[in-house]
Amino acid sequence: MFDLKKAFIPFVVAGDPEYNTSKQIIKTLVDRGADMLEIGFAFSDPIADGPTIQFANNRALASGMNSRKTFELIKEIRDYTDIPISILIYSNLIYQQGIETFYRHAKEAGIDGVLVVDLPYEEAFEYIEAAHKHNINPVFLVAQTTTKERLKEILKSAKGYIYAVSVLGVTGARDNVGEETIKLIKRIKSKTILPVAVGFGISNQEQAKQIIDSGADGVIVGSAIIKLIESNLKNKNKMINEISRFVNKLQYRK
Amino acid sequence: MKTKTKFGKYGGMFVPETLMPALEELEENYLKLKDNGKFKSQLNELLKNYAGRPTPLYFAKNFSEKVNCRIYLKREDLLHTGAHKINNTLGQGLLAKYMGKTRLIAETGAGQHGVATAVVGALLGIRTCIYMGEKDIERQKINVFRMKLCGAEVIPVNTGSKTLKDAINEALRDWTANIKTTHYLIGSVVGPHPYPKIVRDFQNVIGYETKRQIMQQEGKLPKAIVACVGGGSNAIGIFNEFLGENTSLYGVEAEGRGIKTGEHGATLCAGSPGILHGCLSYLLQNKDGQIKEAYSISAGLDYPGVGPQHSYLKDKSKVNYVSITDKEALEGFKMLSETEGIIPALESAHAVYYAVKLAKQMKKDDLIVINLSGRGDKDLHSVGNYV
Repeated sequence: MFDLKKAFIPFVVAGDPEYNTSKQIIKTLVDRGADMLEIGFAFSDPIADGPTIQFANNRALASGMNSRKTFELIKEIRDYTDIPISILIYSNLIYQQGIETFYRHAKEAGIDGVLVVDLPYEEAFEYIEAAHKHNINPVFLVAQTTTKERLKEILKSAKGYIYAVSVLGVTGARDNVGEETIKLIKRIKSKTILPVAVGFGISNQEQAKQIIDSGADGVIVGSAIIKLIESNLKNKNKMINEISRFVNKLQYRK
Repeated sequence: MKTKTKFGKYGGMFVPETLMPALEELEENYLKLKDNGKFKSQLNELLKNYAGRPTPLYFAKNFSEKVNCRIYLKREDLLHTGAHKINNTLGQGLLAKYMGKTRLIAETGAGQHGVATAVVGALLGIRTCIYMGEKDIERQKINVFRMKLCGAEVIPVNTGSKTLKDAINEALRDWTANIKTTHYLIGSVVGPHPYPKIVRDFQNVIGYETKRQIMQQEGKLPKAIVACVGGGSNAIGIFNEFLGENTSLYGVEAEGRGIKTGEHGATLCAGSPGILHGCLSYLLQNKDGQIKEAYSISAGLDYPGVGPQHSYLKDKSKVNYVSITDKEALEGFKMLSETEGIIPALESAHAVYYAVKLAKQMKKDDLIVINLSGRGDKDLHSVGNYV
């Protein structure tokens, strides 16, 4: 889905803190050189997320965000940029719309990849079929705990890119990159030609560099950006400026 | 996975990839141990001498006269810690010990499962952390104290609705970060496969005993069995042995302030299928799929999901799912206390009051068994606010 280069992939929850500011934030991320976007659909019970992204989900829902408005927002972003857009979503939001209907709407909104956070390949059959039908990449997580056998199965279904979960745990900014993360990247790269993007816990330039140096193709940064939303809720201009500055600092590669 | 992960379309394993290997490990160990002689005899010994099994099947003479039908109570309330939850925590605690896990985590609503996990942690020498919603901590102070006395750490959960649903979210997040050392001891027949089956198997002892006891005392099976349903573990525990029999089964959900008010926990009666906490089952949700908050006077029934096997049994019409309001449950609570001197948990009081209603459609000699899943000591404070 994205080129094999040091891709910078920001993640935000659609509608955090509300529709218009969220749109402005995402456009800023695009302007500052994002190579791909990861957009989260707000969900009431995000079990894979740490406090920072939980609060982002809550803010979006409290502002009246729902699946229909999320598609609308993504459509607006699609009109603004050509970079790939991948979404992160919990399965119930897809299930309630009807699996096939959801993927059709996703395509209409200009979405390129769908990662269902709580959907291991065992449960994914119908979702993958619908994705193929609508020419969307079904994206899967690979974790440190993923066995050799499971990785093989995941690679049979995955398209677009592989989302490598860098830590044992939920999302949230951390300070360093462990040896296990580097091992994981090398293990995945040795088994697939798909690009590998690494996410969960990456918050600074040094970490991003370490990850790219170990052979990953992209770095996904979520909580670190969302913290800047959280800490500047009362001053939108400052929020956008700080996000810009933070993203510029991460652009080590250019 | 080695065994079927679903009940019809319900159940499954809707969890992030990080957790999948832990579920595989759990299933593998469970299958190996459940028929292991040493494991079984150790568990039976604990169920007998530590928890107090078998529990009596008590003919409630006064209550029967009052409702004009023969009512039996399966006295799970007499177990150590005061509820059926200990059947499952002993089983899973021992399983965790055999798996070499050095830490237990659990969620709790009313605090009964938290207490039952804390005592097993103390008994087996395993460090224990209990996740509990801030609202529930407020409602169930005594149980929090009991857990702490047994050495467990109680971690307040202040996200979302600050109740059981959110405690499960937090426990799942903890487990994701600590799967190598930690066993997540789920308290009901909910969550991803293999939990709904493991918990059912450990609770099956309730129905197994009931069947033999009623045959011994009455020479026939009951006309009906009534049990309350939050997540649904005590209900599955007593229903499972009777699924092929000519006994009508009634699962009683919390109707709270009434279905129409939207303030209830009647997931099967008023919800729709969806995915939460790792399984596909009936849920309380809006049309987008955002989970709604449940409400009940009893913290143990205050859950917007339900075990996937119950969803299956509902669709197949094998069990009748009904609901009882807060008010009716309080009526049942008082009636049983006054006629029999047995104070039921508010959860079980829902089943008690449904039996009162059901008795009206029955003949005088018909048998109804109520699963008295817990005792009411923990509820005296909250009932005091109403009476």
